[in-house]
Amino acid sequence: MKHVLTRPLRALLICALAVLFAGTGLLFYQWRAGAFGDRLPDPEAAGQMVLAAKLLGLDDKPQALEQWRGKVLVVNFWATWCAPCREEIPGFIKFQDQYGPRGVQFVGIAIDQKERVGPYARDIGINYPVLVGGLESMDFARQVGNLRSVLPFTLVLDRNGKVVTTEIGVLKLGKLESLLKPLL
Amino acid sequence: MLMRWILAMLLLLSCAARAGEPELLEPEKAFRFSARLLDANQIEVRYEIAPGYYMYRNKFRFSAEPADIALDASNLPPGKIKKDEFFGEVQIYRGDMRFVLPLTIAGESVPRFTLKAVSQGCADLGVCYPPLEQKAEITRVAFSSAPADTGISPFLRPAPGAQAPAAAPRGKLQSEDTLIAELFKGGFGALVLSFFGFGLLLALTPCVFPMIPILSSILVPHGEHLTHTRGFALSLIYVLGMAITYALAGVAAGLLGTLLSSALQNPWVLSGFAMVFVLLALSMFGFYELQLPSALQSRLAVTTNKLHGGHFASVFVMGVLSALIVGPCVAAPLAGALLYISQSGNGVLGGSALFAMALGMGVPLLVVGASAGALLPKAGPWMETVKRFFGVVLLGVAIYLVSPLLPAVVYMLALAALLIIFAIYLHALDPLPHGAPGYRKLFKAVGVISLLAGVALLIGVFSGSRDVLQPLAGLRGAAAPAAQPPLFQRVSNLSQLEAAIRTAAGKPVLLDFYADWCVTCKEMEAFTFTDAGVRKRLDEMLKLQVDVTENLDEHKALLKRFGLFGPPGIVFFDRPGNEIKGLRVIGFQPADQFAATLDLVMSH
Repeated sequence: MKHVLTRPLRALLICALAVLFAGTGLLFYQWRAGAFGDRLPDPEAAGQMVLAAKLLGLDDKPQALEQWRGKVLVVNFWATWCAPCREEIPGFIKFQDQYGPRGVQFVGIAIDQKERVGPYARDIGINYPVLVGGLESMDFARQVGNLRSVLPFTLVLDRNGKVVTTEIGVLKLGKLESLLKPLL
Repeated sequence: MLMRWILAMLLLLSCAARAGEPELLEPEKAFRFSARLLDANQIEVRYEIAPGYYMYRNKFRFSAEPADIALDASNLPPGKIKKDEFFGEVQIYRGDMRFVLPLTIAGESVPRFTLKAVSQGCADLGVCYPPLEQKAEITRVAFSSAPADTGISPFLRPAPGAQAPAAAPRGKLQSEDTLIAELFKGGFGALVLSFFGFGLLLALTPCVFPMIPILSSILVPHGEHLTHTRGFALSLIYVLGMAITYALAGVAAGLLGTLLSSALQNPWVLSGFAMVFVLLALSMFGFYELQLPSALQSRLAVTTNKLHGGHFASVFVMGVLSALIVGPCVAAPLAGALLYISQSGNGVLGGSALFAMALGMGVPLLVVGASAGALLPKAGPWMETVKRFFGVVLLGVAIYLVSPLLPAVVYMLALAALLIIFAIYLHALDPLPHGAPGYRKLFKAVGVISLLAGVALLIGVFSGSRDVLQPLAGLRGAAAPAAQPPLFQRVSNLSQLEAAIRTAAGKPVLLDFYADWCVTCKEMEAFTFTDAGVRKRLDEMLKLQVDVTENLDEHKALLKRFGLFGPPGIVFFDRPGNEIKGLRVIGFQPADQFAATLDLVMSH
């Protein structure tokens, strides 16, 4: 039996196995990363969903995102218990000041308790609307592209209500700036 | 040249892998939760936190159902300090985290309960996960003072929420534990004796197969000179080596507590031993011969000739090594045994019990030895068939070993591959020669069965089934609606909806908002609407569905009419046709919960 496998044949077999394992590994990896699972909705539909959302504001009044249609909208999902989220908020405040007059509107959606969001927003001086959603808002975030349901998650919509980009994790100000400029 | 090509391939693969979003794990995989009962008053909770992820110490919440079990989570171990500009210093956990939760039970008879753990963690990549709820079923019958009646298992299987059902081998694992638990009811003598019998049973499992070639390599060099006495002596030494190793494990378990049994269930240990089995299997398929390097072999032969006892020593060492190789194969029953022994805290008892078990396992080997090799398979073409059969069995053992670690998809693919390989080795696809002997027909029949089972698994897994026992259930589900009327009547705008509600004729109405991209909708479809109890209740309602995948204006109008931002959303109307405001279902509801909602709708 062991004489059947000549040396080149054995080398070939080992290579074939190596490629097979690498391929399986890659497939498995992609499967784990969710490449075969959920599908992203198309940018138009996701944008429509975002604009159709209604959530409570810090003053308990329902707010529809529809009211900001026509603006360049930056929707940021965050929470007070999420350290990376808090990291990026001062930058958003700065940009709201800087680009607000040119048609940019930031909106924060906090996946958190109102009692915690209110004081935090006051302390840090958030100058854009903050809406409060429960965990079910994460379902919504998942549907519009946040496949792993994590925070922070940020969407940028153009003036036509189409999702231009979605960012999971901290959105660097430099990147945000280069995203916003062409949309102004 | 070839190397360069392979390098290029690997480079290509790694590039492909790196493209796209930051690779984030599903929360259940990033924070792998399990728990088990240590003794009557303590639960060990374990979080295997993936590298690059951490959890907040102050965010853990534990509760039990039923609620008359109180858990004390006030003494969690200290974590690493992390600076947080808003909360100050917070403590976080990383890596493999275990801690003990003391529990107090108000009622006497709580045979099993559900441990609910809420936790919150983040990834170093700079994202956080929302609070995560995970559950584990805990059975504590074995520890109650009353005589146990059924289902004794101190192990618990994590209940992974909406994930795939637990793979079949886990059920087996539980039953083996149960068996051992029963054994411990007797006295010392009875216990040792039953462990011997248990070892005999284990000898019938494939776990002993790898030992046969090892033993034959010990016996065969003696050739013609092998007497019955000497053969028996050699195999006895071999079996003793194995038995003493197990006995040591038993003593250690008795003294060390639960450490050992959890070590046997460590993923790395299990994967490592599965690898050993794969290697053994490959040698059975004839890819290479399992042999010591010839230099070592000849030196061993010289030593053996010089020193008589030397050979016995090496056989003894072989026995010890074999115990280590076979150990994980019997890990499930062994872990059960070790766990109970560790609770007894009795080293002598543990040692004797496992020694007896190993002796029982060794009985067939002793018989082979005493026959002076006569019972050892003689070389011949049929040996190859047997070896391949063992090879397949060994691969099966490897899959079984790691099955608790594998996602259902991988597990099913592996099983399918195994079944098909087995079928091919049984010549399932080769024509039978005219007038073939009966056993060849039998082999072919078995081969064809195995082939069909393998193909069914493959088809099942590619069509989305995650159930080993019902791989084709998905196809049945897909085929059925074609024959039956669809569950829902489609409506696409407000006037159609109103018209449909008018035709409801006094039935309650359910309106489901659906879209192709809506994961929750699919989950409802797959897990909730298929439930028999839910179906029965749905039969008495008018079921309408709006498919808003295309998001036309009329769809938007409908969504707006009900104040929904999109699917999922289920709205109910009472018999006169007015919306029942408080009962909307937004998001996923499992079958029992949804059935309860439907009951409320009906009683409205």
